[in-house]
Amino acid sequence: MAWLMIKKIAKSVKSLSSERDITGGMNRRTRPATLRFYEERLLRVLVHIQEHLDEPLALEALARLACLSPYHFHRVFSGMTGETLAGHIRRLRLERAAGRLKLCSSPVVQIAFEAGYETHESFTRAFHAAFGLSPARFRRLKGARALIKASSGVHYRDRKHPRSFRAAQLKGKPMNVAIKHIKPMRVAFMRHVGPYGEVGNTWERLMMVLGKEGWLGGGCQCLGLCHDDPAVTPADKIRYDACVTVDRAFRAAGEIGVQVVPGGDYAVMTHFGPYDNLGASYEKLLGQWVPRSGRRLRATPSFEIYLNSPDSTEPPDLVTDIYAPLEPD
Amino acid sequence: MNTKLDLYKVHKTEYVMPRQPALVHIKPAQYLAIEGRGAPGEARFQACIGALYAMAFTIKMTHKFAGRQDYTVCKLEGRYFGDLAGAPKKEWKWKLLIRTPDFIGEKEMDAAVATLLKRKKQEEVKEVKLEKIDEGDCVQMLHVGPYDKEHETIALMQHFAEGRGLKLAGPHHEIYLSDPRRVPAERLRTILRQPARKI
Repeated sequence: MAWLMIKKIAKSVKSLSSERDITGGMNRRTRPATLRFYEERLLRVLVHIQEHLDEPLALEALARLACLSPYHFHRVFSGMTGETLAGHIRRLRLERAAGRLKLCSSPVVQIAFEAGYETHESFTRAFHAAFGLSPARFRRLKGARALIKASSGVHYRDRKHPRSFRAAQLKGKPMNVAIKHIKPMRVAFMRHVGPYGEVGNTWERLMMVLGKEGWLGGGCQCLGLCHDDPAVTPADKIRYDACVTVDRAFRAAGEIGVQVVPGGDYAVMTHFGPYDNLGASYEKLLGQWVPRSGRRLRATPSFEIYLNSPDSTEPPDLVTDIYAPLEPD
Repeated sequence: MNTKLDLYKVHKTEYVMPRQPALVHIKPAQYLAIEGRGAPGEARFQACIGALYAMAFTIKMTHKFAGRQDYTVCKLEGRYFGDLAGAPKKEWKWKLLIRTPDFIGEKEMDAAVATLLKRKKQEEVKEVKLEKIDEGDCVQMLHVGPYDKEHETIALMQHFAEGRGLKLAGPHHEIYLSDPRRVPAERLRTILRQPARKI
């Protein structure tokens, strides 16, 4: 695809690599105000989840509670707690079920149902995966603890809600993140609804129509805008916009629309390798780097810019820039 | 729908990446080409890359839209002419290339230029030409590291050629496997190729 045409980006490389990573030298013992800001917001959500474990717990409602945009909430949550929102809820329900197995004599199928499982079998499978033994054996075994390992340190406690949690630490090599100010970008886009793995078909159609009309010139860039969290939204409902920057002369037609990607400050991090792992990089950037950066996320979508083409590039060599929008400094 | 044609896969033996010099035979191949002078990475060089890709994608997508054979737009390549070691970079003469299937001809080229100019895209697209290059026997090796250290790999290739009664002749050819905008210089991978003739 047209990824390599990106002249402007080529020029900005220097500034990107010369700006020093600001977490590199960050004293990890200090707790910047923004980290507390994000921790307080997430704690509200963690408490709410424990109080409402029997309810559906919609992402949007939890995001509102955290005063975080639904665009970012799931990534901040995963990045900070070390587990996905859905994974966290599932784990707490299993821990509660394990406690009930010990404390009350209700039949397993009843406890399975309370934990949100429709059948005995699916509950037993999930329980075994988490505790390494069946619910019946767990019930008989003396001293078995109703805890599943979690880096956040948050566990189910009957009528006792978490007062704090361990925010995931920055591990390994310092993250190379730069703050860039960009102008609004006008893009032609085609919306894909369905599994991420199939966005390639949408790209093929978009590029074909734009290409034969002469829009793939002049240093255009290819962007991906993801609107949903694959850990929460069913695969067939995930919305993703395949976007190519265009000038004012371009008019929306047929299945190709036009939108403007907001300008402003962005935290930019490069992801190297297959697209399958992009999610983990988003979580690190939004859930670990941003809370420690002194900056706050802005309520507009994050996006990714593809620098090379999956068509002619082996997956380990793919290069993608991830952009997370920030409130003005 | 036809399966997508990937010229690098079809001509696998021409894109080997040995960590030691090797002899390869390169059959005549067609490229989109644009030439210039100056240090790689400078404005003119970047403008030529942009024009080359604009043409490559416009031609490919037009072809595909018409329901004809789909193909992969190949990686960027470059040929460098003259004495690279002796001349300052700003005097280097180069030609940037993208390998293109033989079924693309002048008609497709003219149509793509017209389409791009109608959209007021870069004028440099007019300079992109179709070119057949016949390199024949070549010495080839994978260079890992900064472009500025290529001379070390070239020295190995020269030594290898001499040991076989050959000398490196003809323009130095590079195939860019990595993206220099993000990949750190020490990890850049580039195939180096140079035609070799009997002494």
